[in-house]
Amino acid sequence: MKELNPPVELVQGTLDMLILKAVSLGNLHGYGVLLRIQQLTGGQLQIQQGSLYPALYRLERQGLIASEWGESENKRKAKFYSLTAIGRKRLKAETESWSRFSALVAGILGALPEKP
Amino acid sequence: MKIFRRHQFESEMETELGFHIQAYIEDLVRSGMDPAEAQRRARVEFGAVEATKDECRQAWGLQRLDDLRADLRYTFRALRQNPLFSSIAILSLAIGIGANTAIFGLVDAVMLRLLPVRDPGRLVFIQNVGSQGANGGPPYPCFELFRDMAHSFEEMAAFSRSNMEIGINGDREQVRGVYVSGNFYSMLAIKPLMGRALSAADDQTVGKGGPDGPVAVISRAFWRQRFGGNPAVLGTTIRLFDSTATIVGIMPSEVMSLEPGRPIDIAVPMMLSDPASLRDRGAWWLDVVARLKPGIQAERARAESDALFQGFMTKLTISPDIRRIAFDHIELAPAGAGMDSLRKTFSKPLTALLILAGLVLLAACVTVANLMLARATARQKEFAVRLAIGAGRGRLIRQTLTEALVLVGVGATLGTILALRGESALAAYFAEGNNQIILDLSMSGRVLLYTLAVSILTGVAFGLLPALRAARVDPAAGMQASSRSLSGSRSSLRLGRALVALQVGLSMVLLAGAGLFIHSLRQLESVDLGFTRQGILTMDVAPERALFGSQQWLTLQTEILNHIRRMPGVRSAAWSTMTPLNGRDRGEVLDVPGFSPRIETDRHVHLVAASPEYVTTLGIPLLLGRTFTERDGANAPKVAMINETTARFYFGDANPIGRKMVFATIQGTPTYEVVGVVKDSKHQSLRGKPWRFLFIPIQQAPDRINRLTLSVRCSNDAMASAAPAVKQILGTRSGLLITNISTIERQVQFSLMKERLVSTLSTAFGALALILACIGLYGVLAYGVTRRTGEIGIRMALGATRGEMVGMVLKEAIRLAAIGIVLGIPPVLALGRVSSALLYGVGAFDVPAFTIAVAVLLTFAVFAGIAPAFRAGRLDPASALRCG
Repeated sequence: MKELNPPVELVQGTLDMLILKAVSLGNLHGYGVLLRIQQLTGGQLQIQQGSLYPALYRLERQGLIASEWGESENKRKAKFYSLTAIGRKRLKAETESWSRFSALVAGILGALPEKP
Repeated sequence: MKIFRRHQFESEMETELGFHIQAYIEDLVRSGMDPAEAQRRARVEFGAVEATKDECRQAWGLQRLDDLRADLRYTFRALRQNPLFSSIAILSLAIGIGANTAIFGLVDAVMLRLLPVRDPGRLVFIQNVGSQGANGGPPYPCFELFRDMAHSFEEMAAFSRSNMEIGINGDREQVRGVYVSGNFYSMLAIKPLMGRALSAADDQTVGKGGPDGPVAVISRAFWRQRFGGNPAVLGTTIRLFDSTATIVGIMPSEVMSLEPGRPIDIAVPMMLSDPASLRDRGAWWLDVVARLKPGIQAERARAESDALFQGFMTKLTISPDIRRIAFDHIELAPAGAGMDSLRKTFSKPLTALLILAGLVLLAACVTVANLMLARATARQKEFAVRLAIGAGRGRLIRQTLTEALVLVGVGATLGTILALRGESALAAYFAEGNNQIILDLSMSGRVLLYTLAVSILTGVAFGLLPALRAARVDPAAGMQASSRSLSGSRSSLRLGRALVALQVGLSMVLLAGAGLFIHSLRQLESVDLGFTRQGILTMDVAPERALFGSQQWLTLQTEILNHIRRMPGVRSAAWSTMTPLNGRDRGEVLDVPGFSPRIETDRHVHLVAASPEYVTTLGIPLLLGRTFTERDGANAPKVAMINETTARFYFGDANPIGRKMVFATIQGTPTYEVVGVVKDSKHQSLRGKPWRFLFIPIQQAPDRINRLTLSVRCSNDAMASAAPAVKQILGTRSGLLITNISTIERQVQFSLMKERLVSTLSTAFGALALILACIGLYGVLAYGVTRRTGEIGIRMALGATRGEMVGMVLKEAIRLAAIGIVLGIPPVLALGRVSSALLYGVGAFDVPAFTIAVAVLLTFAVFAGIAPAFRAGRLDPASALRCG
């Protein structure tokens, strides 16, 4: 183990949000999504690579992202995902609720004992 | 992407995942990793590819579809492996569903369908109603009053059905016509198929019509049948009675008029009908239909027209009794589905048939449920294995239900095809005879919806029980059990027996019901008609119009009779204004000296004008006095014959011969002397009490008689040749119009159409239920013998004879049948009570019908038991014991 910080386990249900965020920064294929998330997290997040795809399919099924076949950087056929209008709205809502939630949790955990 | 583009989905997923892994490998290699190691590493970090794919499919919503596909594939394989099971199940369902679809199609066509007219919900008939019910519409002058004065209606039209005489290229013929007020079709928004419809402009001047002169429209059916569908018929002129009319349009056949089922060939404007009838303030020959204004309550419209009607009636001379009975006030009746005579006639028979068809379907359900239960028992081991290796119970239930729904789907498809065939047979049956009923039995959306609902209900009904049982399998016990001592098989045998008893019960109901209807039909067929059924040929004859009301026509009548009487095989021949059951009727008002009527209708009799040999030809027995002779001519003293009912009504036990009868409402009040009394005979139908009849000689009739019916009594072997021969004789006289060639026997049969329909179909249903019950009985008995092989072996080893074993199984068969019969008794009684209005001469509990049903069921139960019984008798005790 060469890193100082041990890898963080993904909190249940946050993968969808991360994917939406990654795709919101530009169209990406599945592998690209993985790389982007790793880049954003500085490689500190442990994701089973395969688990990305069921999540992508589910999000596309829900209409939050759209897909389109195109060519990758190395001229191979790849499927690119982009954020839809509904996806954008959802990401915004999720982001807000996440920050409220994390602020709340941080507030609770950071509370100091009251002076008598 | 659509979910059924499955191949594309799979290949794209393959490409996508492949790309990911490949790209990662390349990145790893680029970062200096050994290619082989990079491949290994990429696969490890990606995870199980197939599992990922499965999750993707699930995420995409393909899982359920895949399960369904597997279930279907499995079901079809299973059904193919068991052709006997599948074909019996599918056939039973097809019969049950087909019967229901066909009968419901009939119900839909007769009872439920609205006419294809604009906004049918606001259409009403304006009817005169008295203490004896509705009585058509008001006289024409009153219709005009309504049309011009009543504000509750948007529009109003009148129509009246009437036979019409037309001439096409010199050929005379009688067609079924309707007089309509000019706005009739535009008010109902009925569009012509070709040419134009009649318009208000065509209906302006009495006898002339409108700017285009007298015009007419014809029905599509008549156009095709009479003109071969030639469009050139538009614009041609035909003769209409003594005048002419130009054909200007072709209309949809089913909405020529507002009487569903009754075929109409031609429609002409009201103004071309008899001018005297149009003027007559006391002639009740119209039907009136109106459209309520939006937002106007029916009651307000009724009150308004009733007020006008009461005003009209105060200026009309009419007997108060008649007024009270028939023309008391105005009521509105919904008109969106047309006039309800057809519905009234058939509502009871159709209800009975719908109940019977439902019972057949129930029997089919029980049959299939029983078969599936037997199969589920046989498949317990398979289910146990599947449960043991991780299939959910829900999955097993779904599997069994899928099987049920597939059976129902195939059965329903087949049943619908059967129903279509049945419907065309039914339509042909209704279109028989003089009073044709034309039904549109094409599958409507409503019928298909009904079939669908019935099918799904059926599938769930017979699939649920086996499905739940399948899920109750205990994996451990199911796998340990040997094929012969399956756990739960005792209870499933018990359930099977109960179902078979239920089947027998249903058959009992259907067979006894069929017996009831057949017996009732026999009673009607053997009812004393009062006239002879066989060997009488009838046809309607009218002279050319120049002879109407002339002495020549009377001479010609005698001449024709003399000619026909000389024909070989002819016993006698006669003219009359009507014959029994031909649907005609005429009433007359009498004054009978010495008789004081209590109410006006006491003066009414039915009048027949006839030539001397009429009662002889029809075989109506003369009870007293004499019949007419040639001497009762126009200038001889006027004479009459009466039937028993008339005699008893007016004269009690006194001798009626020599008594006088006066036609009260005919000019000159002609007086007739009674010279003979004949036996009562049926006239309008075979049911009901005889009417009061009065017969007078045609020569002495108070008014001109033009159209007559010719009856020819032949020896039986001459019947076939008589019709063409008589027609040929008539053909030698120029200008005679001959219609409705028939026989009395056929007319008797047609009058029993409803009864024949019910008895034929109920017999067919009974037979089907019987077959299903036999299959069920055989199945449960055969299974019982298999299960009890060991027991039978022990019994035989202990000294029971083969005969005893055969008897044991047969006794079981009879016991099951007996339980079913007892179960069936209360519904049989209920059915008898419900359909009592359809029955004639039999009670709700008819002993012969009941006895025959029981005998048939017991006989067939024994038949069904024979094969299993002999198998039990043939068992070899030693091997049976080893098996057990």
